[in-house]
Amino acid sequence: MNKRRPYVRPMDGWWRKNPYFVEYMIHEATALFVAAYAAVLLIGLLRLAQGEAAWTAWLATLQGGWAILFHLLALVAISYHTYTWFKIMPRTMPPVIVGGKKLAGWVITAGGLAAAAAASLALLALVWGMAR
Amino acid sequence: MEIYKADVIIVGGGGAGLRAAIAVAEANPALKIALVSKVYPMRSHTVAAEGGSAGVKKASDSLDYHFNDTVHGGDWLCEQDVVEYFVARCTEELTQLEHWGCPWSRTEDGHVNVRAFGGMKIERTWFAADKTGFHMLHTLFQTSIKYPSIKRFDEHFCVDLIVEDNRIAGVVAIEIASGEFTLVEGRAAVIATGGAGRVFRENTNGGVVTGDGMALAYRHGVPLRDMEFVQYHPTCMPGTGLLFTEACRGEGGFLLNKDGYRYLQDYGLGPAEPTPRNKAMELGPRDRLSQAFWYEQQKGRTIEGPHGSVVHLDLRHLGEEKLRERLPQIYELAEQFLGVDPALAPIPVRPAVHYTMGGILVDGRCASPLAGLYAAGECSSVGIHGANRLGSNSLSELLVFGRVAGEEAARFASSVAPAAPASVLAQAQAVEQRVLGIRQNTRGNERIATLRKEMAQTMEDGCGIYRLAETMQKTCDKLDELKERFKNVRVEDKSSVWNTDWLLAIELEYQLDVAQAMAYSAINRRESRGAHQRLDGFEQRDDVNFLKHTQAHYVAGGAPRIDYGPVKITKSQPGTRAYGAAGEKAEQERKASHG
Amino acid sequence: MAEQPKTIEIEVLRYHPEKDKTPHTQVFEVPFTDDMSVLQGVQYIKDYLDGSLSFRWSCRMAICGSCGMMINGIPSLSCQTFLRDYYPARVRVEALAHFPIERDLVIGMEGFIEKLESIQPYIIPKEPRTPAQGEYLQTPEQLAKYEQFSSCINCLLCYAACPQFGLNPGFIGPAATALLHRYNVDSRDGAQAERMELINSEEGVFNCTAVGYCSEVCPKHVDPANAVNQNKTNSAADYFLRFLSPKGGAK
Repeated sequence: MNKRRPYVRPMDGWWRKNPYFVEYMIHEATALFVAAYAAVLLIGLLRLAQGEAAWTAWLATLQGGWAILFHLLALVAISYHTYTWFKIMPRTMPPVIVGGKKLAGWVITAGGLAAAAAASLALLALVWGMAR
Repeated sequence: MEIYKADVIIVGGGGAGLRAAIAVAEANPALKIALVSKVYPMRSHTVAAEGGSAGVKKASDSLDYHFNDTVHGGDWLCEQDVVEYFVARCTEELTQLEHWGCPWSRTEDGHVNVRAFGGMKIERTWFAADKTGFHMLHTLFQTSIKYPSIKRFDEHFCVDLIVEDNRIAGVVAIEIASGEFTLVEGRAAVIATGGAGRVFRENTNGGVVTGDGMALAYRHGVPLRDMEFVQYHPTCMPGTGLLFTEACRGEGGFLLNKDGYRYLQDYGLGPAEPTPRNKAMELGPRDRLSQAFWYEQQKGRTIEGPHGSVVHLDLRHLGEEKLRERLPQIYELAEQFLGVDPALAPIPVRPAVHYTMGGILVDGRCASPLAGLYAAGECSSVGIHGANRLGSNSLSELLVFGRVAGEEAARFASSVAPAAPASVLAQAQAVEQRVLGIRQNTRGNERIATLRKEMAQTMEDGCGIYRLAETMQKTCDKLDELKERFKNVRVEDKSSVWNTDWLLAIELEYQLDVAQAMAYSAINRRESRGAHQRLDGFEQRDDVNFLKHTQAHYVAGGAPRIDYGPVKITKSQPGTRAYGAAGEKAEQERKASHG
Repeated sequence: MAEQPKTIEIEVLRYHPEKDKTPHTQVFEVPFTDDMSVLQGVQYIKDYLDGSLSFRWSCRMAICGSCGMMINGIPSLSCQTFLRDYYPARVRVEALAHFPIERDLVIGMEGFIEKLESIQPYIIPKEPRTPAQGEYLQTPEQLAKYEQFSSCINCLLCYAACPQFGLNPGFIGPAATALLHRYNVDSRDGAQAERMELINSEEGVFNCTAVGYCSEVCPKHVDPANAVNQNKTNSAADYFLRFLSPKGGAK
């Protein structure tokens, strides 16, 4: 009689078992803030389409305490998401060959983060300029 | 008991076994092949071979050169007709492996690259960085998946051969996962179980290298040939014995003693040039290099470390970039295991047991004296290594002779009828009872590990780089004692599933048989040749009395019976084995005398 | 006075299918020297403290792929993980995560072997050649395209690092995909289209959510996550090309 009886370990709470998985879950969770902020912008667009009064009211809402708190939270979450997104990026793309050598992962990550920072600053400058 | 009816059985899933299985499948797709291996094939010790595999490649090279290097390297104890066949087939086999996907390192124009290796006149060692064995094994394993006629019995431990009417009729194996027995019937069998280096204390071998297949054939009356010739690899990690490939020297590495002096020039291997020329200095053969270490140690010119005396393998001058490209595994081994960055500091090394030159007696077509039983690879003695193997010949051997063994076994299996099944089953059941008896033994209190360690220590003491009758005798006596004590071995684990305690006990019994064959073969060879060097009045090679193969025959309950067989000489008469400048001079003289 | 010999505690997750319903831990006290690997610690237990402890091992030098274990929760090769990095704290050793435990530290790996067999892990030549015609030419650049993916030792640490495999054992997973990719991008091979079906399937690459831990734990720098994710792109391209070509996808 065959006495094998393999034991399958449960997967419950798997993401708490390793700091790497916790980081992964935070990364995934922060994607919700990206989605939420997209919704905020969409609502803004909708308000704009509804006329000046609606738009002004929406702008006023955004200046409330809760809205500012939300924006701060979203800024932190999306920054974290951006960071971890670029961190994993070298693992998700075909090798980049420069001068016959494979580009190191950290270069791709650093490049992505620099591009994200530059785009954010450019946008900030643009909005700043328009607001003045 | 499970019964599987195969046509050809292959025991061992390393390079030779896989190559044999593919050869059978290609020779005759109608034959059912059972590939029985105690580990998943990619765990087999072929995986750990590093430097490369020999095959004539360059225009400046020739089959004659490869032949001469091999025969001289083996101190003329080679079967020269077999060596001739071997060197003629290496390149084709290596090319076949290329077609199967082996990632050989390349030259800029896309051809397979070759590197220098010890004792080889011309660069002819094909390599895949410093993981050649790994890539060869995985290529063979993955290619074997293509053939539906190969049925693998992975993690099945072969415990005996079934012999009926004086020919092979099957094997009995334990399925490790369940502890259940399986009878694999077949009309021919190839043993390809690798070497037996684990009978020694400090060795480069994996835990699986326990000489199982040698012992299986030996107990069925097949002699083990030239077992006294055990290769010490000169550059191994102190303590663990892990290997730093000869390719370190092939790429230009130096060996230094405690004064930073390239001591090999004192042992007939000079001149010491900044880039070692082939067959000189660091590119001398392994036996000579290990022996030189021993003398340096006697002279007090080695460096004392926590695991004994060491010398330095200096790769610093090669630079990090080249080391990372050509020797990436060595780089990581040194960093992780020793905390040494080889680009910045020399690596401490000492000789350790690496390879079993001898093995199951087979002819040039891999056939043993037992009808239907073939052997290939390190477990076999087909006759190409003689008294000292040249680095990179063994990987080629497992391709060339793995294939021969497979083809011959296929031919034999097709030519005979199966044995009577009832009788075969009865034998298999008797084997099962015997092997279960080891597990159930409650008589004794001997720890497996204790017996194993005492065996390994006595082998190192008596059958090391240099040997004396007195210490060899002690080793023989000790092995006799250990075999006696083995009867009282205690297997703590009485269960069935994954009982590795039981498997270790069975392996230990195999090892003791093989160790005995080695020690008794050694004490009876009263000369010095290749890897068998004596210091007790037999310091010279003695072609009059000992240009012959030792054959150890199993004697149940006693010491092996030793007799001798002839050595086949075809075109190379025994001469002086010289390296370095002396070697070049000797070669010129040989050429001159032959006109 | 002689120095007291040092010891270290090794906590092992034990499971014996013939005796235990569930795994349990057992702690052993093992003599410690600072060049000892975790594997050597476990071997000491087997040799001198408890012969019934089961685990796989062979080469001791991180190339045979046998001795993968969870060491303090991290998938590791026990032969190249050293006790000195934990001493004097206790080290916790467990069978590789996400696999069934056969016994003690031994996992069942038939599932992986089936996956390996399913990916056609051999050259299906673009242009067949006989040995007499000599080798295929392959430049170092062409070799570099697949060499890293051919370095997989099948140690399965990546599967123990992949929660998606843990949640869906059918997922073909990191190592098998890396090998599949290795053959696809080999200049000698011409069977990418044949292997595409598996990539696209339920068990294929879209099980991967880019956790990336598989590549972190890989002892041989194979970067299996990269192979998986490159094949997501290939799979997507294959899907869209199917609409454009009557024969479909990469064929």
